[in-house]
Amino acid sequence: MSAITKLTKMETRLFLREPISLFFGLIFPALLLYGLGSLFPGFTDPATELNGARFIDVYAPVAIGFGTAMLGLSSLPPTLATYRQFGILRRLRTTPLHPARLLGAQMIVQGSVAVISAVAVVIVAAVVFEVPLPQRPLWFALSFLLTALSMFATGLLIGSTTRTNQAAISIGMATWFPMLFFAGLWIPRAMMSGTLQKISDFTPLGAGTQAMSNAWFGSTPTAFELAVLVVYSVVVGFITVRAFRWE
Amino acid sequence: MAVIEVDDLVKTYDDRNAVDGVSFAVEQGEIFGIVGPNGAGKTTIVESIEGLRSPDGGTISVLGLEPIADRLELTQRVGAQLQESRLQDKVRVGEVLDTYASFYRNPADWHELMNRFGLEGRDRARYGDLSGGQKQRLSAALALVGSPEIALLDELTTGLDPAARRSTWETVEGIRDSGVTVVLVTHYMDEAERLCDRIMVVVEGRVVALETPANLIRKAGFEHTLRFYPSAPIADDVFGDLPGVTDIRRHGGQITITGTGDVVYSVVLALAQREVIAQDLQIEQASLEDAYLTLTGSREEVD
Repeated sequence: MSAITKLTKMETRLFLREPISLFFGLIFPALLLYGLGSLFPGFTDPATELNGARFIDVYAPVAIGFGTAMLGLSSLPPTLATYRQFGILRRLRTTPLHPARLLGAQMIVQGSVAVISAVAVVIVAAVVFEVPLPQRPLWFALSFLLTALSMFATGLLIGSTTRTNQAAISIGMATWFPMLFFAGLWIPRAMMSGTLQKISDFTPLGAGTQAMSNAWFGSTPTAFELAVLVVYSVVVGFITVRAFRWE
Repeated sequence: MAVIEVDDLVKTYDDRNAVDGVSFAVEQGEIFGIVGPNGAGKTTIVESIEGLRSPDGGTISVLGLEPIADRLELTQRVGAQLQESRLQDKVRVGEVLDTYASFYRNPADWHELMNRFGLEGRDRARYGDLSGGQKQRLSAALALVGSPEIALLDELTTGLDPAARRSTWETVEGIRDSGVTVVLVTHYMDEAERLCDRIMVVVEGRVVALETPANLIRKAGFEHTLRFYPSAPIADDVFGDLPGVTDIRRHGGQITITGTGDVVYSVVLALAQREVIAQDLQIEQASLEDAYLTLTGSREEVD
């Protein structure tokens, strides 16, 4: 087995040994959608505030955005910070394997978890709440991928500039909550004021959930939504590469 | 044959030379010790050899390779145990060894390494459940999992209890006996004295001595002390004329003689010639620690 395969296997096992990140990363987004839909009265009925759409339809893409943001902003940063704090990246630098491979393995693991948790949301939405399957699957997949990319890039940046596990958790959380707000977790976007909506348009998670929502219900994501995601990921990615420290 | 050659190494941090013109060569098959106070530049020297730091001056050749330019080849042939480096708490001993082994073109049999390092039967154990000594031995095993020709061990026994330190020493001797050259950074003098063929003392980024442990002690010119109760009365004059004796004191019935060189031998011989027995004889000889403290000028601030 090649080094990168073995490393990815080890990182996968390590992820599976953390019951909390396993629960929150893998099934919590689907559980959240299930909870919202079954506990709140009227969540599955057409709502006038949403121009006749159902709350569950609005929240399904938000739940996916919530999941990728959680992995990117609250799982990835402390993992990376810990790896640097423990000197694991430094130790790898003394081996023939470039430590970037470890980051790659982490991306594969966390990315796979993000995909599984998104699929779980789509299944719960379809099976329990009769939300249609994503109508434009390729556009949906692209929107999801770009959303995940933007969140993982942010997480990499936080994880590569913080010194300790605790700092990474704090900064990750401080980034996560506003992102979630503008994605419409507490107030659906349709019910936000014009200013909040404008801000939301420019945040990666706001643009991402909008793009996923569009593709889910049959329209093409707008060029603006995709552009926000791409520009954001590229800029953050560039800063990350510049700011990254192995030690 | 030298496997590591460092010539006039300089490394500057914040306008201060952390390493200031260090030159030395490590011979194949030896255990080469680097000792010195904290902040003396020991770790910087070792990390420059590993290619983790780029020198600001001087040259380093490791197995004929240049650490920064030939990093990939160097990492195949040099194993490193870093100071203050740990692993994920939930990683298992076996899987981390197996994974690290896959990085190398000629990996060692990691099962055999586990046995050699006193970790037999622990392959399913999680890193977080290992004792301090086991963690350090695993760290050393990881440094050797690529079958290196040189092992660089930085403060391998720091923080270990005396029993764990001693068993780790045997591990280090085992590494050398298997033909691997060892560079050992330590600040325990008993460890350096016991393990090292040669010791380099570094103070404030400079080499102040590079000798065998015995020569370091001898060159520091230390006095030996004998304390005993003579079985019969004996005059001070008997000892005063002996070569090397510098001081004679009496305290109650006890005589304390200090001196240099072969003083122990000549005093014992003088007593034997007069058929006097030295009862409760205590001999204090200078240790490497004494030599070290003198060389590093830190005799007053021993912690």
